[in-house]
Amino acid sequence: MARPHIEPFVDRTVPFKKMTLPGFPKGMHYKMLSLDTDTGACSMTVMFESGYALPPGMSYSEMELFVMTGYIEMDGQRHGPGTYICLPAGVSLPAMKMPRGITGLLFYNYGEPSFVESDADHPLAERHKLIKVNAYDDLQWSATNFFPATAPGCMVKILKFDERTQAFTFMYCMTPNFWQDNISYHDCAEEAYHIWGTSWMMQFGELPTGGYFWRPPYINHGAFQCKLGTLAIGRTDSQLYNHFHFNPWTTADENRERAGARMLAWKPDLYKWVATGEHNHPADFEFPHAHFNEKGERIFQHHEGGDLDHKHK
Amino acid sequence: MPELIKHARSREAQAWLKKEIAEQKARYRKIEHEMNVTIAAQRDKWIEAFLERIQTRGYNVHFNMLRKIKPEEIPKRPKRKFKVVF
Repeated sequence: MARPHIEPFVDRTVPFKKMTLPGFPKGMHYKMLSLDTDTGACSMTVMFESGYALPPGMSYSEMELFVMTGYIEMDGQRHGPGTYICLPAGVSLPAMKMPRGITGLLFYNYGEPSFVESDADHPLAERHKLIKVNAYDDLQWSATNFFPATAPGCMVKILKFDERTQAFTFMYCMTPNFWQDNISYHDCAEEAYHIWGTSWMMQFGELPTGGYFWRPPYINHGAFQCKLGTLAIGRTDSQLYNHFHFNPWTTADENRERAGARMLAWKPDLYKWVATGEHNHPADFEFPHAHFNEKGERIFQHHEGGDLDHKHK
Repeated sequence: MPELIKHARSREAQAWLKKEIAEQKARYRKIEHEMNVTIAAQRDKWIEAFLERIQTRGYNVHFNMLRKIKPEEIPKRPKRKFKVVF
């Protein structure tokens, strides 16, 4: 994803703008948090005016919505603060009303924001991937199950997990007087928004309510502190692994090289296989349909035929 | 697995994107300067305090596992330019 390193950014410092893209009814306002300059994928704080209504419709891109204030009326039910919806591309949602307006977060993951009026799914839609949950009421806090793990006092609720990429969306909290004295970086891009509270990182200082970051892979962050507690939404674009260390001055290139060296130590056989010849295009037998080129055409690979022992010239 | 359904991007969407990209560039430049220049001296003090804490209270290895770092393990600051926003 081609998004620059936006860290920190506090949305309270900028005004809402009117959404003018075709398809969206009037009354939608947004603050851009980060944007992929190639695809138009983006993360926004949004505000819908009182009485805002959307007809049944779909998005061309997978989309995630988190409600911070207000409520949505949909299918005869009220969906209030904490509501999280992950809408796969092409899946039609029923008509929605926001009698008193809402504020929330809106993420378009693979393309620019779009809304197409439709009461039926697109033929390519994967409805079974639709997620609707109230993160406040329906889920409980759990410790992070990473190894190595964040320090005690940082807890998560998993909202979405992608089986193929292991990208996930999660709510997290830090307890009052949370601290973690190490420096971390990941192989994935990471993004977060503070719904409430202030935390501190040694590189970037304090991130208050409304604070946001989009951090590309291999960038140092931490040590961490939080005096009064924090509630936030986080997302990654692939598997999150905590590469901890205590050298404040390493660069992203050095961190990536260290991650590669660690991969060699942890998975030597796989590392060597991938690094040999042209094997840096492996296919997953569980997700063979995931191979598309830039035009969206399926790419067939010899590995899919089970020819795993061939040699490259 | 269509995470994005193929569609033609409208002229309005192209224009919107162009404007947003320009605004993001300006936002990035401001953040980059603030982080890499304006608060650099303050961050040096935070780093000094961190390097002290990991020798006395300990470095978080995993969850609640702490290890006290020996003075000879403390990294030395390289002479190159130091930045935190890339």
